Amino acid sequence: MLKMTHLQKVYRTHLIETYALRDFSINVREGEFVAVTGPSGSGKTTFLNIAGLLEEFTGGEYLLDGVDVAGLGDDARSRLRNEKIGFIFQSFNLIPDLNLFDNVDVPLRYRGFGAADRKKRIEESLSRVGLASRMKHYPAELSGGQQQRVAIARALAGSPRLLLADEPTGNLDSLMARGVMELLEEINRQGTTIVMVTHDPELAARAHRNVHVIDGQVTDFDDEPKLRRPVRDGDTAAAIA
Amino acid sequence: MEIRPILSALMRSKVSMILIGLQVALTLAIVCNALFIIGQRLELMNRPSGMNEADTFMFGSSGFGQGYDGRAVMKSDLAVLRQIPGVADATPSNSVPMSGGGWGSGISLQPKQKTSSADTTFYMVDDHGLNSFGVKLIAGRNFTPAEIEDHDQGARVQPPVIIVTKALADKLFPNGDALGKQVYLDEDEPRSTIVGIVEKTQEPWIDSKDIEHATFIPYFLPYGNYTRYLVRAEPGRRDEVMKAVEQKMAEANPSRIIGKLRSLQQVRHEAYANDRAMAIILGAVIAALLAVTALGIVGMASFWVAQRTRQIGTRRALGATKFDILRYFQTENFIITTMGLIAGGILAYGLSLWLMQQYQSPRLPWYYVPVGFLCLWALGQLAVLGPALRASRVPPAVATRNV
Repeated sequence: MLKMTHLQKVYRTHLIETYALRDFSINVREGEFVAVTGPSGSGKTTFLNIAGLLEEFTGGEYLLDGVDVAGLGDDARSRLRNEKIGFIFQSFNLIPDLNLFDNVDVPLRYRGFGAADRKKRIEESLSRVGLASRMKHYPAELSGGQQQRVAIARALAGSPRLLLADEPTGNLDSLMARGVMELLEEINRQGTTIVMVTHDPELAARAHRNVHVIDGQVTDFDDEPKLRRPVRDGDTAAAIA
Repeated sequence: MEIRPILSALMRSKVSMILIGLQVALTLAIVCNALFIIGQRLELMNRPSGMNEADTFMFGSSGFGQGYDGRAVMKSDLAVLRQIPGVADATPSNSVPMSGGGWGSGISLQPKQKTSSADTTFYMVDDHGLNSFGVKLIAGRNFTPAEIEDHDQGARVQPPVIIVTKALADKLFPNGDALGKQVYLDEDEPRSTIVGIVEKTQEPWIDSKDIEHATFIPYFLPYGNYTRYLVRAEPGRRDEVMKAVEQKMAEANPSRIIGKLRSLQQVRHEAYANDRAMAIILGAVIAALLAVTALGIVGMASFWVAQRTRQIGTRRALGATKFDILRYFQTENFIITTMGLIAGGILAYGLSLWLMQQYQSPRLPWYYVPVGFLCLWALGQLAVLGPALRASRVPPAVATRNV
């Protein structure tokens, strides 16, 4: 689904070169739930940006669902991103002036779906996250956990094959975080590949596989998917606490 | 198009939208009416006088000293003027179009009419008058030398023959049979016969309601020692002839002062100075209003781009292309401008009605507002283009930055 080989990202000024990612290789298979962990500044977000086609890389190879993304133009990257990837951001990134329906509608409009198709998808994805009854509400009228659920609905509405989550529970209290995490696990069980960046080892432990990044390099790559342990009430809350 | 969600988002931040919309509305209302007023002024300024203005000039001669015979000097001056190389023709004339001063009177179809049939100005000229004015005779004939009378200031104006403009002829005789008809310039007898009709010339007063009502009268009329001459030069030789005339007139008679020679173009320029000033001031007001409106749009759009950087990055991350972002801001501006323009259209017609009631101004033609719509739409789209392009360059990675 997502395959990076000897990927490199260098920020250059006229004085210095800074490697954000160096010889970075990862292979995420379809249906996996992979957690990318590492300390602040390790390159997790750079990896996520490149994986999500938000940034370009300076060396190596990146295949997204079999498509070599190197050399794709900005518009092609936008289309590919819209079609293949759903994003979940730490700060939810909902548009405050749009109600939930219109927020979920944003990526669908860029996809060019017809009005009826969009409406069906929006209703389905909001139902999936349990917020179908609040379509006309605005983000400010929701709790943080609910806002993140809307963001998940927005990410799912276009039926992406890959979900990229950037610290999805980072701005939530433990109870809400648990709910969001359970929702992500549920989505993964239904077949969507998830790559989640987190600094939280407890959350990472719930993924199939962990990738640990330090100084822009993969230092610990658990290559064999592990069996998911059963999620019990209180697990996430306890971990975060 | 994202019109509905953009509109719905705008409704949640009404103040900026209302302020810019109001600005657009006022701009449309003022610009339409101001442009219309400018158009009217330009139309006035460009009304043809029927004369060959490019080659014609005028000057006055004021004699002094005892024994100065104004009439004799007039006749000898005319002989000198007509001999100067480059002079096409010359005539004495009590006044000229657009000069601001002249002789106006009523003209009647019956003797002792209580109200005259039309108002007219009198141009007292000799048989060279029509040729010097450069007007086109469209019916009848010119004056003959024998018809030119010596006229005294203050005496009754009762010439046996006159030549009128077509506008005056049509006013007096709407059936188009003015030639050969008799009219009364004075309330008493005798009558004057219309022997010729010229296509067009104007009264000296540019604000006259009936500006093309003019009557040529075959009189030699010095105003005491003062005489005004009108000289038409051969095409392209006006300036050269003006210098020669000034010199020859001074040489011909040292007992008088030659006034400043003024071309008819200069006379027109001076006559319409106020209209021109008003057109320039209104033009400046329009330019300033458009600039302020454009800057307002630029300012608002720039502020919104800065305020929504994260939102733009999120949209990019969710699949918006650069063009989608550009189109978003252009559409947003289009919606605000359109709302302002709808209000402005109503305001423009309202302002026109008010001007009609207060100043008897003509009604604003209907097409000014739609044309104004198009211009302000274009202005709005151009004004927002810079900020919108900046927005389209916001990288999608902004979405993952936690500021």
